[in-house]
Amino acid sequence: EDALLPAPLNISIISTNMKHFLTWSPVIVQGETVRYSVQFQGEYEREYANESWIPICECSFITTTVCNITEDISATVAYNLRVRADVGARRSKWGTLKGFFNRITTSLTPPLMKVIADGYHLLVELEDMGPAFQFCVFYWKKGQENRMQQKVVKEVSSVVHLDTMEEGPDYCAKAQTYVEVINRSSDFSQTQCVRAQGGRSVWL
Amino acid sequence: LTAGNKIFRFGACRVSVSATEIRSGFTAIKSNIQARDPIRTLSILSYPHSLHKVKSSDRCCVAHHLFNFYVDRVFKHCKTEDSYVNRKISSIANSFLSVKRKLGQCHEQNKCTCGQESTEKFKQILANYEGLNVTSAAIKSLGELDILLDWM
Repeated sequence: EDALLPAPLNISIISTNMKHFLTWSPVIVQGETVRYSVQFQGEYEREYANESWIPICECSFITTTVCNITEDISATVAYNLRVRADVGARRSKWGTLKGFFNRITTSLTPPLMKVIADGYHLLVELEDMGPAFQFCVFYWKKGQENRMQQKVVKEVSSVVHLDTMEEGPDYCAKAQTYVEVINRSSDFSQTQCVRAQGGRSVWL
Repeated sequence: LTAGNKIFRFGACRVSVSATEIRSGFTAIKSNIQARDPIRTLSILSYPHSLHKVKSSDRCCVAHHLFNFYVDRVFKHCKTEDSYVNRKISSIANSFLSVKRKLGQCHEQNKCTCGQESTEKFKQILANYEGLNVTSAAIKSLGELDILLDWM
């Protein structure tokens, strides 16, 4: 009888900025194409639906060893995930993620930000990180950190107007992201400073 | 559109609900689910009176009952042959489970007391639900989720 197909190993989650990916080590079968299928189980399924599992059709019989599970991890509860391998008629047991995954543990990186002096206007350009993200932008006149001001940006449009600058002093800004559904913020981006000079943009 | 939380205030009980995520999950399957409900003249949540008639002092208790109702009795009977629909139902069910827990905590801390009217209202909803066979009742209740979300 054919040797039993080994279950996928080293199953883990890579989760950054609310994008969640399941990865695993490939199952090696000489001269054969191995295909993988992924299923998930939320807390609801464990406690109210007979511990049922739900297939992710985009990750059924795939040959890669990574699956984007972002769309299915859409509640702040503990999820279970599992993968199995198929080669022809042979099928492995399920390999299951060690421990649960809750999106509250996603790693949040500081946002990409560009501070612009457009004449006397202090503007900031922010990276669009998806609908789950808001931004807190802090800005101040250099040397007056104690009079820091804050602007919350709920939806990223092209450019955000922060302030009207006086000519001469430098103006600085930094930003962090905030994800409401998990109630967490990222670290701050690098501080950037600009200066207004009669309508010419100046970078420092 | 931000996948934002909403903080719902039911008197002393404050519950954060990822309302946008729930609503977008429901919107994705609404027409599919409602197409499976042949009895359009009956309502589970709105008969005989709309949820909007619930007094503000009873809102927390009704919400608490309703989230328990959906988690305990509705979602498990909504399995379909469509994998995409099942995935969206799972996402809504897991979000409801989070909210159910938070409302449960309020209830335990006596911030979500139940008056006569809210108990009557919920009894009526159960009677509407039990008046149909369980699968039809569950699908109809799921199809009325926007009524609940609008009321909240």
